[in-house]
Amino acid sequence: MNYMELLGALAPEAIVVLTALVALAVDLLVLRQAPQNARQVVAVSITAVGILAAIIALSVAAPSPPWMDGLLINHSTTAFLKQTLLVLALVAGILSIQSRFTQHTGEYVTLLLLSTVGMMLLVSSDNLLLMFVALELTSLPLYVLTAFNKESPSSSEASLKYFLIGSLSAACLLFGISLLYGLSGGITWTQLATTLRAGSEPIVYLALILTLIGFAFKVAAAPFHLWAPDVYQGAPTPVAAFIASGSKIASFYMFARIFMAALPGTAGSAAWSGATPGWVPLVAALAVVSMILGNVAAIAQRSVKRLLAYSAIGHAGYALLAILSNTEQGMGSLLYYVVTYAVTAMGAFAVVNVIERDVQAPNGESLTDFAGLSRRSPLLSLCLLVFVLSLAGIPPLAGFFGKFYIFIATAQSGTSQGLIWLVMLAIGTSAISLYYYLQILKQVYVVESVGQPTPVQLRPAESACIVAMACTVLILGCAPNWLINRFSPNSTEVRRAGVITKPSTTLELAAEIHPRITAPLGTATGLVQKRPQFETTTANAQ
Amino acid sequence: MITPTLQHYLVVSGLLFCLGLLGVLARRNLLVVYMSLELMLNAANLALVAFSHFNNQLNGQVMVFFIITVAAAEVAVGLALIVAIYRKRQTAHVEDLSSLKF
Repeated sequence: MNYMELLGALAPEAIVVLTALVALAVDLLVLRQAPQNARQVVAVSITAVGILAAIIALSVAAPSPPWMDGLLINHSTTAFLKQTLLVLALVAGILSIQSRFTQHTGEYVTLLLLSTVGMMLLVSSDNLLLMFVALELTSLPLYVLTAFNKESPSSSEASLKYFLIGSLSAACLLFGISLLYGLSGGITWTQLATTLRAGSEPIVYLALILTLIGFAFKVAAAPFHLWAPDVYQGAPTPVAAFIASGSKIASFYMFARIFMAALPGTAGSAAWSGATPGWVPLVAALAVVSMILGNVAAIAQRSVKRLLAYSAIGHAGYALLAILSNTEQGMGSLLYYVVTYAVTAMGAFAVVNVIERDVQAPNGESLTDFAGLSRRSPLLSLCLLVFVLSLAGIPPLAGFFGKFYIFIATAQSGTSQGLIWLVMLAIGTSAISLYYYLQILKQVYVVESVGQPTPVQLRPAESACIVAMACTVLILGCAPNWLINRFSPNSTEVRRAGVITKPSTTLELAAEIHPRITAPLGTATGLVQKRPQFETTTANAQ
Repeated sequence: MITPTLQHYLVVSGLLFCLGLLGVLARRNLLVVYMSLELMLNAANLALVAFSHFNNQLNGQVMVFFIITVAAAEVAVGLALIVAIYRKRQTAHVEDLSSLKF
């Protein structure tokens, strides 16, 4: 191995870092005296060029073998996830044009890009060292970005809470990592997977719990969610959008990878009768608490950003179901779920961003600010309708299929379907969640606005982003196979590390679970026609 | 004179970690909270070095260098946040951070 090859493998990340530095230099050296708006447009344009270059570099890069004893891996799934992260970062940049929360445009864009680099490395990391460093590279810029609105006292307060809880979780994670390293004598997933077995030493469970706490903080799973509502409300809206989308994708992927690929020997079981100790029952407990707390607490919220935060906690609960299924199918459904969720959440926050600028509320908007939006901006309301219904899981939008795949993967994974109780609970809580999602839509479509309805000011770039994301949610919902098939052959690493998977009989099982629901749904959404394709690809991946 | 074994190091590092955790949860001054956070990181460092020594490997010790660097960056960010908070509120106490609530 030589350094040129390493540079080739890291080219996309290197491009993004260079872009960040160029954007900072141009803003500080050339445009210091220019008007704020021009600086923002230039900085975001530089970002767009760099991100496009990195996306192209990712799409032409050949899959490489693991670098440096598994320090870095690149394959088609990591490339796709990195491209998604880059697009989300670009959208977050575009959303912040013309926003008044900061004068420091160059620093803002640089931190956004550095955080993106951290997420890209997190997706690629295959051992404990790079994972920890990448996790910190992701988090530190996000802490600063959260505090970027110096006018608002809630911004710095939210950031400090985020920082304290985040550092605490990082310290727990690090202690867990050090125990894992000590018990296994290695730092790569393969070394961990071959040495760690449940029941060998009790301290393994301590290591598992500490590692789990670290990741539960990152993905905002209850009871480690306390930072999320404050940060979503206090942070500038584009930053909150990026935390809700990009950071979720990277953290969930790494969460699933470390437990599925590195710790398969300590899984245990969360079956209703006959649970055994391991990380699966712990994740199940997190999932149960998250689903119930997130969805119930969201009902009481009056701020839409806070409501989205609690809904994100509920969604983290559903995604945890996919992780605890501990199969290749679960991994595929998890990635489909987090990618579609990220796009949807980014879209919802983009709409909130427009409204917030419109009502000029310094401390965030409330539900009533959305009253009568359908008369003020039909396009914006239509997009919000798509995002909110997708979050609620209404077919044929992407959110429905995300939940559908996850429920199937979970139900199928346990021995003799011992995890059905979790799926039942998840279906119940998604029914609860409909209530608060419809509250938003009620404000938009039913309640009259106070005073004369004035049209909402929309910028072309912003509305293009919102419409594109709404179309993505719709298209991914109508043709979910395109995305889920990308993730099917991904798990070569998972298989290599010894996760046993079962043959996939998705639709048969679905029919078994809800015989009455699946049949009409399948025909209505075209799932039945596409079924052979889905099954063959998962079967090939076995 | 006893020669320290892996267990001794692990007990010390576990104690340090618990002390740090207690400090983060119980203390009210932000600067003390930061010091407790550093204590937790250093507990992990001690465990890594001990494991590395007794496993006859260098992996753990290399990791410690990265962690020290990261911890320094983290403190820099944290102190900047304290300054930002102090300018707005003239306080560095945890219980004064209560404008965002359920």
